[in-house]
Amino acid sequence: MIFDPNFIARLIPALIEGAEVTVELAILTFVICLVWGLVLALANSAQGPSSWIAGIYIQAVRNTPLLIQMYIIYFGFSMIGFGLSGFNSGLLALCIQNGGYVAEIYRGGLQSVSPRQYEAGRALGMRRSTLYRIVIIPQVVARIIPPMINQAISITKDTSQVAAIAVMDVMKVAQVWVESSANTYDVFLGVAVVYLVLTSAVSIAGRLFEHKLAFAQ
Amino acid sequence: MVDISSDVSSRVIEPQTAVARRPMLAMDEVSKRFGSLEVLRNISLSVSAGEVVVVIGPSGSGKTTLLRCINMLEDYEKGIVVIDGEPIGYRPGATPDQRQRMSEREIAAAREHIGMVFQSYNLFPHMTVLHNVTAAPIRVKGVPRARAEERARELLAMVGLSDKMAEYPARLSGGQQQRVAIARALAMDPKIMLFDEVTSALDPELVGEVLAAMQELARAGMTMVVVTHEMSFARDIADRIVFMDGGVIVEQGKPDQLLFSPTTERVRAFLRRYNDRYRI
Amino acid sequence: MKEFAPLLHGYWYLLRGAGMTVLMAAGSIVPATVCGVLLALAQVFGNQAVRSIVVAYLFLIRGIPLLVLLTFTYYLLPLTGIDLPPFWGVVMVFAFYYAAFMSEVFRAGILSLPRAQWDAARSLGMTQRLMLQIVIFPQALRLASPPFVSLCANLVKATSLVSIVGLWELTMASREIVERTLAPFQIFLGAAVVYFCICYTLALYGRYLERRVLQGH
Repeated sequence: MIFDPNFIARLIPALIEGAEVTVELAILTFVICLVWGLVLALANSAQGPSSWIAGIYIQAVRNTPLLIQMYIIYFGFSMIGFGLSGFNSGLLALCIQNGGYVAEIYRGGLQSVSPRQYEAGRALGMRRSTLYRIVIIPQVVARIIPPMINQAISITKDTSQVAAIAVMDVMKVAQVWVESSANTYDVFLGVAVVYLVLTSAVSIAGRLFEHKLAFAQ
Repeated sequence: MVDISSDVSSRVIEPQTAVARRPMLAMDEVSKRFGSLEVLRNISLSVSAGEVVVVIGPSGSGKTTLLRCINMLEDYEKGIVVIDGEPIGYRPGATPDQRQRMSEREIAAAREHIGMVFQSYNLFPHMTVLHNVTAAPIRVKGVPRARAEERARELLAMVGLSDKMAEYPARLSGGQQQRVAIARALAMDPKIMLFDEVTSALDPELVGEVLAAMQELARAGMTMVVVTHEMSFARDIADRIVFMDGGVIVEQGKPDQLLFSPTTERVRAFLRRYNDRYRI
Repeated sequence: MKEFAPLLHGYWYLLRGAGMTVLMAAGSIVPATVCGVLLALAQVFGNQAVRSIVVAYLFLIRGIPLLVLLTFTYYLLPLTGIDLPPFWGVVMVFAFYYAAFMSEVFRAGILSLPRAQWDAARSLGMTQRLMLQIVIFPQALRLASPPFVSLCANLVKATSLVSIVGLWELTMASREIVERTLAPFQIFLGAAVVYFCICYTLALYGRYLERRVLQGH
């Protein structure tokens, strides 16, 4: 049966409960990755061993599936006596992988500022710290906002994979309800709406932030 | 054309001609190479306070590198540069080989006294015109915001851009951007101004307004080193023209002497080629 | 090296799984590319109504996780009475899902061509069709090829999700070996290495294409 009001009335609170886990995972992942990605990007642009270690890390995590990374952490770590909960395993894997992507966004932003901007600042007698604070970083920030918004949306969607390691996020809730009822369409519509609302919220919030920092290009 | 009244500019730019003709810039035996290519060979050049020196020469002759070495945007293997008695980049030692590199902080401080205008304007795209002009005085010299803005208004009025203060650089024409760049450099109250082919990237009809601003500056007594391809402008503005080729100064002299009766064959050949190209 | 003995016994099974992964990815990339090109053309050259439909489609796809679509295709397909083998079911989902992202890549390729190219072609008296055929598309495809290749690598990684809905490929194969050998760390790590080899090869090829685009060949 499609659009069964009684069923939907029971479904909605369950989906919201799952959505809370999804939101928590997404926010934690994004905030941690903003920092971890910056560390990686700076390490990668420096000289010496830190550069190639960060380089190998970035390539390794970007070229293997998130799901496999979750399995390694969730099943692998418990085998060697270092078990993590499903939530923590999922969070760790999400941060490990997306840190690599965010690092590349930072790198692209830094590279997009013309060397002439550095020269203009130096010619005005700016010291390194002043130059970065008022000339370089504001331009980098303005340029990385659009890809960061995309990454935040991608993170929100990626959190659905924690359902595979028994975390009760909105995806897992939907799976459980589908298997225990015949109202497949209702559940599908419900979970699709939840994700559309979440990703739209990210996109709108990002665009407001972008608008605040915009300058005429 | 820009409306530049000379009483505004003489108020804005501190005249330096009154001071006895002390050397404002002294380059001593500066040599610079890119790999195996020698771009500057033992260049020595002295510019006195209030003097306007125009550097001409074929492309690849080292003109731009010369300017960039003066404020240490380009490092050099040999030689010393002194601005108004203070070294920038290297402190002289007992012998030329014993020169000592200054710290980045000291070099940054010395650059405050040298204004530079680039071929490609290099305005900060994320700042308004007013903010472009005030950023360095406020953040580098610690000038109070109100005073920096007052001064920026005067300078922008001088280059004829009072009505563009709230715009972002992307909304301005090339000529307007270049005039903002001149105001930005002047806002630091430099002792000397360097101009690196500042009209080469501009549409022909926009060249005049930038040259007019520079002319006004020269009249107000600013010490200037100008690299340009505009020969008639060079003749009008220069106290002295320096001809460079292959990393050396081939000949220098008063504009009319160098442009109309040069003593070396290389200058004659260069001017012949130039006249052929631009004869109508 | 005794710890990695399970991997030695299972490696042939893993490689067969990898073969299935490659087959599934290749089978999806072809229709996804075709649909992606059509969507891009519809968005650039279509009328207002067509463009609105495409935009709505992109909004839905970009806002819903692939795992949600896979799961519900798995449950919904039997209900609709369409008799499609599971392999072709997931290929269909991948094609529709990645077509949305590929259309963005192709659209960006078309739009990033300088205006002067269109003007030059028109001034030579070319018809719309000829202009697109010999001036616009060849250049747009060249510009789009590096992001297209990285999207393909992304799709290869995403095929791991079909193991959650019970299809057999590399990730499913590694889970089966783990169940027999109880050596999750080694086996999943082995699977990760196989994924890395496929995706990193694609990434290197993408970087090679990018260099060629930058050099203007």
